[in-house]
Amino acid sequence: MTDLSKIRNFSIIAHIDHGKSTLADRLLEQCNAVDNRSNAQQILDSMELEQERGITIKATAAQLNYTASDGEVYALNLIDTPGHVDFNYEVSRSLAACEGALLVVDASQGVEAQTLANTYLAIDAGLEVLPVINKIDLPSARPQEVKAEVEDIIGIPAEDSPEISAKNGINIPAVLEMIVKEVPPPKGDRDAPLQALIFDSQYDPYRGVIVYTRVKEGTVRAGTDIKMMATGAVYKVVEVGTMSPGGLVPREALGAGEVGYITASIKSVADTQVGDTITTVEKGAAAPLPGYRPVQPMVYSGIYPADGAKYQDLREALEKLQLNDASLSYEPESSIALGFGFRCGFLGLLHMEIIQERLEREYNLDLITTAPNVVYRITKNDGTVLMVDNPLDYPDPMDIQLAEEPFVKISLFAPQEYVGNIMDLATSRRGEFKNMDYLDANRVELHYEMPLNEIIYDFFDALKSRTRGYGSLDYELLGYRPSKLVKLDILLNGDIVDALSFILFAENAYPRARKICEKLKENIPRAQFEIPVQAAIGGKIIARETIKALRKDVLAKCYGGDITRKKKLLEKQKEGKKRMRTFGTVSVPSEAFMAVLKLDED
Amino acid sequence: MLFFGKNNKTPLGIYIHVPFCRSKCAYCDFYSVTDKDPRAMDAYTEAVCSHIKEAGSLAPNYLVDTVYFGGGTPSFFGAEGMAQILSVIRKHFDVARTAEITFEANPDSVSDRLLRRLRSEGFTRVSLGIQCDNDEILKKIGRPHSYDQAVKAVQRIRKAGFKNLSVDLMYGLPSQDLESWQATVENVITLNPDHISCYGLKLEEGTPMHQYREYYTLADDDMQADMYLSAIEILRKHGFRQYEISNFCRKGQVSRHNLKYWTGGEYLGFGPDASSDFAGRRFSIVRDLRAYIDGIRTGGQVLREVQEIPNRERAAEFLMMRLRLVSGLDPEIYQQKFMLDFSPMEKVLSRCKDQGLAQKTYDGRWHLTPEGFLVSNTILSDLLIAQEKSQTITKR
Repeated sequence: MTDLSKIRNFSIIAHIDHGKSTLADRLLEQCNAVDNRSNAQQILDSMELEQERGITIKATAAQLNYTASDGEVYALNLIDTPGHVDFNYEVSRSLAACEGALLVVDASQGVEAQTLANTYLAIDAGLEVLPVINKIDLPSARPQEVKAEVEDIIGIPAEDSPEISAKNGINIPAVLEMIVKEVPPPKGDRDAPLQALIFDSQYDPYRGVIVYTRVKEGTVRAGTDIKMMATGAVYKVVEVGTMSPGGLVPREALGAGEVGYITASIKSVADTQVGDTITTVEKGAAAPLPGYRPVQPMVYSGIYPADGAKYQDLREALEKLQLNDASLSYEPESSIALGFGFRCGFLGLLHMEIIQERLEREYNLDLITTAPNVVYRITKNDGTVLMVDNPLDYPDPMDIQLAEEPFVKISLFAPQEYVGNIMDLATSRRGEFKNMDYLDANRVELHYEMPLNEIIYDFFDALKSRTRGYGSLDYELLGYRPSKLVKLDILLNGDIVDALSFILFAENAYPRARKICEKLKENIPRAQFEIPVQAAIGGKIIARETIKALRKDVLAKCYGGDITRKKKLLEKQKEGKKRMRTFGTVSVPSEAFMAVLKLDED
Repeated sequence: MLFFGKNNKTPLGIYIHVPFCRSKCAYCDFYSVTDKDPRAMDAYTEAVCSHIKEAGSLAPNYLVDTVYFGGGTPSFFGAEGMAQILSVIRKHFDVARTAEITFEANPDSVSDRLLRRLRSEGFTRVSLGIQCDNDEILKKIGRPHSYDQAVKAVQRIRKAGFKNLSVDLMYGLPSQDLESWQATVENVITLNPDHISCYGLKLEEGTPMHQYREYYTLADDDMQADMYLSAIEILRKHGFRQYEISNFCRKGQVSRHNLKYWTGGEYLGFGPDASSDFAGRRFSIVRDLRAYIDGIRTGGQVLREVQEIPNRERAAEFLMMRLRLVSGLDPEIYQQKFMLDFSPMEKVLSRCKDQGLAQKTYDGRWHLTPEGFLVSNTILSDLLIAQEKSQTITKR
């Protein structure tokens, strides 16, 4: 076990794209933890999708052995955190495992929404926050101004902050020295009852779940009988050790102050929830560490295989993804329209997109997804309270006494010139203006309260396009508030297509309904008969379009040379039809479902 | 029962693609060149003749009962070349005395001399491209003739002794409305042809009309459908019986050559871009005059695509082509010919019947109605999906 005084536990926080992962790589290289030629890509972001999107999805950790200028060797534990609001809880648990945080700020862009949000999380966790000014090699870099911004806006000293370029390896040793000097060494009693914080876990097909943990109090070693305090699961430890970028390094024991891993033949990450406390079965801790929260999906969506025969494949893919991602929840659901699929719960929209993309890419599945929705709280006339995460379960309007939807507090950051655009956007999404702060002469922060439902789909994209990419946002849940909600049903040829039903704010229903009908009309091919497309609330039709019957689809000439061509044409038409979903007598291509999801794009 | 020649030989159609035109029509995507160099025509004639000679030895057990010179514009290519090619066909193939021998002609290139010559060579049928009776529209679509020339051409063709005349018409042309199309059909009927083909305009990629499509006022699909249905009605009233999606005739004067395409008969094609279906294989020739001539001269490759068609695909073709015909298809024959169960298709056709798109005759044949013809691609793609599921019938 490393002496407490020689341990530094820190994480790196930043706004997206400010260079967090690049700095992590440089630190690792500097400590010779990795060969800098072996992997040009960012080392901690190992998932293909992470590297492509430039974001960290799962937290990871690595131990660096650094020989400081005082001649001593320090164990620096870097805990990388996810970089998106969807994963705020995970970020907070990673931070709880540290004593300090490097705050990376882009020398040309300055303080952004997530800079602030993450800094507050770090300060709340009692961390020493150490600013680092990155990208000083950019021609537009303005390190002195950005330092002043950090001091003014965040209120932490930044005058002596290292000015670095992670990309070009400039001034990296200064960062390491700062970590040794400024991050407080951990505290803890290695003889006390065990309290180890789980900040992440990962499924390994050979060892079972690998639990990443920060030991707060006590000591854990192979053979110890442990208990997860929230889930109550009990296991015998197989191995403990530390994480080096090259892999896991087994140790004899992990003591208070140390960051490492535990394996115990655990079969499912569901037993090792982020934020839970590990203690010993015998003489265990009296209370868990504070801050644990069970996983709470915020956004739900139906996921169906485009080809109904791929249902089993989808199930297996979801099972595999869930092994590694306890925040993904799913349960089988069936739709009259789409057949068998799954109702999936996600932490947020990014999480949903990531899961969908991984299913499509890593498991080669074609998916149809239904419109995402939040969880509504419905109080019925008889007093029972329902949490509705699926439009199909929405009760009859006659039975509803009170309908509530989740609201969030949203902070929007942008250069001042876009304030008008942002206000228009927020107002159109039922945002209630709270206040506006000038961060500096040029940049403002606007605060709104709005329904979560209004931001789950494309709010971020809309914000980006209205601010030429300069806008950023952060949000936190406020709780449930009463709202006027209705369930909108879509009918094709008189039959309700259940997969197209969704819940929305009553006042938005008419324009929405009209737009959906128009979109469906555009995207559903004409059939041999006329197809009415209707939108209804309860039994009342509020919008209608008609897809006229197809009258002409014929090859007028078909002689010797045309036969092969005609065959190819029909083959193509046939394959197109096979990809369509048939509802009663109406065939609907999957593009129609997508089009309905993308209503707000024009 | 038709009786094919004395030795019970297999009937064969011969198609000659003549790739020469005075000018390109704006809608046309058939292969042709507007080269007026007589040497190119001579080289072409020579190539086709040696190609025929080479192929003739491979088909000793066939009796040629139809020959068709299409294009391009065979009448523009001239009587001399066609006569020469036909004589080579007669020399190297067994051509039936009663063979149907057709050439395509345009009103601007049918002289009395040409017609007399071809009649005396044994040509029996002329297919004349009239398209429309409105000179302004003819100009818009790039036809090199007037309607008056077409009327005179018909008179000359009859005078030269051709008993079998077919004319081509098009609907859905620029600035054409329903009334003017109906008038066109009525007008052309007064010319007293034996056979009429009516084609809906289709904008083919790569044609000038496709490129400049937004500059034309064109009928939409609904209008084309109305034009089509009204043509069927007018023609029926005047004694023209529809026998295929786009073809009508009097007194059973069907195009025997074209019928081969729709009934799965065998045919050999010569000339660039010509197609063949012969001895179980479907193949087509390069779409380039120069490459064709050079290929034949040097004994090189002139085919661009050769396909062996498996049984189930032949069965799909059977559905596809037979349902173009008013006589439709006989499920019994389908089952016997391909040893595949017809019932999945029966289901689709029954649904079409409920929608008024198909009919079943008292003797069990299925055929499409005019409304069904109009959406035949949709029906066929449904049938092909069903056909994938049809089980092989095993003999007991």
